[in-house]
Amino acid sequence: MIKIFDLSKSYPGQVQALKDVNLHVRPGEFVSIVGQSGSGKSTLIRLIIAEEKFNQGKLIIGGWDISGIKDQERPTLRRQIGVIFQDFKLLPKKTVFENVAFAMEACGFKRAEIRKTVSQMLALVGLKDKADRYPHQLSGGEQQRVAIARSLVHKPKLLVADEPTGNLDSINTREIIDLLKKINALGTTVLLVTHNKDVVNNLKGRVITLDGGYIISDQAKGRYLL
Amino acid sequence: MYSLLRVIKFALQGLWRNFWLSLVTITMMLMALLSVTLLVGVDYIRQATIQGVEQKIDILISLQPDVPAEEVEKFVLELEDLTEVKKTTVITPEQNRTLFEQSNLSDQAKKALEIFEEGENPFSYSVAIQAYDLEQYPAITAFIDQEKYNNLVEDKSFHDYQSFIEKINNLSATVNKYSWYVIGIFVLISVIVIFNTMRISIYSHKEEIMIMKLVGATNGFIRAPFLLEGVLYALGAVLILVGLVYPLLGFIQPWLSNYFQSNER
Repeated sequence: MIKIFDLSKSYPGQVQALKDVNLHVRPGEFVSIVGQSGSGKSTLIRLIIAEEKFNQGKLIIGGWDISGIKDQERPTLRRQIGVIFQDFKLLPKKTVFENVAFAMEACGFKRAEIRKTVSQMLALVGLKDKADRYPHQLSGGEQQRVAIARSLVHKPKLLVADEPTGNLDSINTREIIDLLKKINALGTTVLLVTHNKDVVNNLKGRVITLDGGYIISDQAKGRYLL
Repeated sequence: MYSLLRVIKFALQGLWRNFWLSLVTITMMLMALLSVTLLVGVDYIRQATIQGVEQKIDILISLQPDVPAEEVEKFVLELEDLTEVKKTTVITPEQNRTLFEQSNLSDQAKKALEIFEEGENPFSYSVAIQAYDLEQYPAITAFIDQEKYNNLVEDKSFHDYQSFIEKINNLSATVNKYSWYVIGIFVLISVIVIFNTMRISIYSHKEEIMIMKLVGATNGFIRAPFLLEGVLYALGAVLILVGLVYPLLGFIQPWLSNYFQSNER
């Protein structure tokens, strides 16, 4: 699903965010990426979703080499990847239904199909009865579930979760992780970036540890090392 | 088709859900439009005034009493041969009497006619001459001042409107100059405020735009509702302007008509 070869990224001022990263993620895997602040986790995510360009190396997503991706190709890539963030990134002036529907409307889906899919996704995340609410009327956990529903409407093969539980309490954290496991069980590859030790240890899955821009550990059944 | 409808839907949603921001933007556009409209209106009235005054200018020649109609006709033909003359109007003694009677002169002055016997008309022929240009009047007066017309012309009155027009022009140029400064400052303030409003609008939508990109919206699909929103702001401002200016025009229209008619006379 993801193939990364000798990937490096630096920012102006000689700040090296990632150095010679090599990584292979197979379809259907649930991979946790851990590391302290500034270790390069979020940079890696931004490169995978083509939000930033890297300086050297090769990055292949679902067979598509995005090393030289053009601006007009980014929307096509992003429709194939679901993304969720710590701060949810919901459109504040749109309702729950509209937020989820927007991702499909932007791609030109028909209204009937949008209505059907959005209802299914809201049911999946348990928010069907809150479709008409605005984000500020929801709890943090509910907002994250809206974001997850939105990320799934394109039925992506890859779901990237960047600190999705960072703003949530332990109960909501468990619910969100359970939801991600459920989505993974349905066949979607999940890439979870987190620094929540308990989450990583309870998952008992593959754990990649980043430190100072390097991958220092890649364990098939790993634990939180740092 | 779906995209177009969605763009319209999103633009209207944006307009309504950012109500106060929309209101401020429309108000700023309206103020800029109002100042330009007022300036154009004032300039139109100024031009109409000058045109009206220019049309009023003529040389009025009173001919000697008892000059026969044939000689008047000959004199007029000679005048019309001049390249400077645009139009001549012959006023018969009867018309002159009627004009006198209908004039604003006091009744006492009008009673002066009573000393003449019935059927006797103290008025003579008059000729009103209009030139193409203000600067051509001296040539026409020089032509009339020729010795051969001494026995024909009793009096000539050249209303010196030229200085009057110059005064109006100077005054309107001054008014224009300062009104442009005032309007210029106003438009500048409006532009700055609109620019800032737009920047605030873009800033407040920055996160939203980023999210739209993240979920796979193309740049065109993101931009179109914002552009349409801008068009709707402008349309709103123009409609309010029309709504304000039309009743105002209706209100001052009788006064304007009177004003223009009095200038055309």
